[in-house]
Amino acid sequence: MKKARKDSAEKPANQVSLRRQSRREFMIKTALAAGAFGAVPLRGWAADPINIGALYPTTGSMAQIGVGCVAAAKLAVDMVNEAGGIKSLGGAKLNLIISDVQSDTTVTRTETDRLITGNKLSAIHGCYASALTLIASEVAERAKVPLITGSSSDQLNKGRTYTFTPFARASQFARAQLQMSKLVSDTPKVAVIFENTAFGTSTSNGLKELAPGEGVEIVMFEPYSAGFTDASPLINKVKSSGANALFSVSYLNDLILIVRTVKQFGLNVSINGGSGGFVIPDFYKNVGKLAEGLQGVAHWNHDVSEDAQKVNAEFKKRTGDFAFEYAGGLIAQTFMLVDALERAGSADPQKVREALSTLDVSSGYAAMAPGGKVKFGPDGKNIYGHPVGVQWQNGDLASVFPKEDARAALLKI
Amino acid sequence: MWETVAQAVINGLLIGGIYALVSIGVTLIFGVVKIVNFAQGEFVMIGMYISFFLANQFGIDPLVSLLVSMPVLFLAGVLIQHFLIRRVLGPNDMPQIFLTFALSLLLLNLALMLFTANYRTVHTSYSDEALHIGGLYIPVAKLIAFVVAMALSGLLWLFLHTTDLGKAMRAAAQNRDVAMLMGINPNRVFCVALGIALALAGAAGSLLMPFYSAYPFVGQVFVLMAFVAVVLGTLGNVIGALIASLMMGVAESLGIQYVGADSGLIVVFAMLLLTLAFKPTGLGGGRAR
Repeated sequence: MKKARKDSAEKPANQVSLRRQSRREFMIKTALAAGAFGAVPLRGWAADPINIGALYPTTGSMAQIGVGCVAAAKLAVDMVNEAGGIKSLGGAKLNLIISDVQSDTTVTRTETDRLITGNKLSAIHGCYASALTLIASEVAERAKVPLITGSSSDQLNKGRTYTFTPFARASQFARAQLQMSKLVSDTPKVAVIFENTAFGTSTSNGLKELAPGEGVEIVMFEPYSAGFTDASPLINKVKSSGANALFSVSYLNDLILIVRTVKQFGLNVSINGGSGGFVIPDFYKNVGKLAEGLQGVAHWNHDVSEDAQKVNAEFKKRTGDFAFEYAGGLIAQTFMLVDALERAGSADPQKVREALSTLDVSSGYAAMAPGGKVKFGPDGKNIYGHPVGVQWQNGDLASVFPKEDARAALLKI
Repeated sequence: MWETVAQAVINGLLIGGIYALVSIGVTLIFGVVKIVNFAQGEFVMIGMYISFFLANQFGIDPLVSLLVSMPVLFLAGVLIQHFLIRRVLGPNDMPQIFLTFALSLLLLNLALMLFTANYRTVHTSYSDEALHIGGLYIPVAKLIAFVVAMALSGLLWLFLHTTDLGKAMRAAAQNRDVAMLMGINPNRVFCVALGIALALAGAAGSLLMPFYSAYPFVGQVFVLMAFVAVVLGTLGNVIGALIASLMMGVAESLGIQYVGADSGLIVVFAMLLLTLAFKPTGLGGGRAR
């Protein structure tokens, strides 16, 4: 009984595999034919494309921002190619090779490795999240492929020769936040509340160290556990501390609760939410009008230059949202790579690195940065790099600090 | 000084009301059906998403959508009891634990797949309003949530003490075998108990929506507190769970104010351990009511 059933099951399986084989054969033949008639003549008239690797988390916990980064990376490449590609290389087009690093450090390591060994890359950009970029940059260093990134970790400028960071460093963000508090009050009394894991602790310690030097008094310094059910006890504590400014180093959900609770308590403090999740369009979508007047810091903003506004309009057309800091920043980075490729006259990663290290721009899309100038020091840091202080005004982020980058007046709320 | 304390106590009581809705559900199921429902938090999450989508698509106020989320989850409770839990009610606890735990994982990941991990908020006219009484602030949305939560708890108490079905439920909780000998149909009683418990979770979700964000993991935040309250207030004791929930809310709030903002849970768990050390059966005195 059993045997019979087995036999009858085997037969159709055989037939299927036979059919598959012939189909595969057919596909191979067609592909070969197509190659013979279609692909070969192409080589004659187009310059070889230049491969640029893009490493971003498009799945997992960091996907929200990562997906926006990929949209920006595609926009940047389209802009370059539509304008005629790399002229010194015979109008060679940029070819973006996107890789999902899945918000995971282990995956980032293997994906970076796979991307570099599987393709002839001229340069890489990514990964937005510092924790991932640190890994990717290690791999890129070893393979001698230049990596350009908007990530802010100061660690990226230590012992690396192929890593370039055109924007403000983490250590600069804290100083900018403290200086912004002095715009609101002559005698700032700051309450710092932070979620009690690595992210919150390291950022808030930076604030604490720099505060005395900047003449800012910290009246409350309090860790809390992320994912609380109710922010009222915490805000009650802020209220009794007598602070007139509140720095919150928080993840999005906690920050939404904190902002709402501050308003409910009718507490008259200026709120600075720092960077990251606070300066993306989603924040305003969640908090709505309450976000008005809230301050933050960013390494890029869409009003820093006319070019940036052009890019922003295009990005908005494609995605429906304004270009957030990482999106706009990485479009600028793509044009920095273009500048380097033009001068290198070669797609060789070593030569691209050489050209990047002597990059010096003060106009065009490559110079879209707070301050409008980019030139790398020996540690790969932009010597003009600094953050920009931003404020939510009418559902948009406006640059308000420092003076030379301010495009709108700070609203004192 | 007294203002700060009073404010902390008010904050604690208000959030305690929400904990109560979740923990009463857990304790009711445990008392009557004798199983621990690990998925209770996920039903709060479903209640929140129901309210979110009704508000987002049709502009229905989350408090009105209570009238949708509660019946929907009541029905879900009845179906889950009839088609799933009934099959594993035997002398062995393990299948029951696996069943509700699997349900929790399934719902959580289903929500992740359908709604993504993004935070969803609903903004109502009263979301950011607060009453100011002599230097104290009482957020309107939370006050409404608290009042409705207490009213629902009161209704449940009336149901359990005045109706035949309610009395049957209490009888089943006190001694299932004797109750069955008295002619009580256990599956019917269990179905209603599950339905009520899930409806309360749905109510908690809808009441939370005006001031808390919905996301797939949101249930986990509340279910932890609910389990503590259930143990603290004696397993299966509805009044005990209610009082314990309010106490925990206040303890958490005072802990944040006077111990440290990351110590709210430490105070809550210290309270639990102390209670268990001196009164191992919980505050309710070991009786299922």
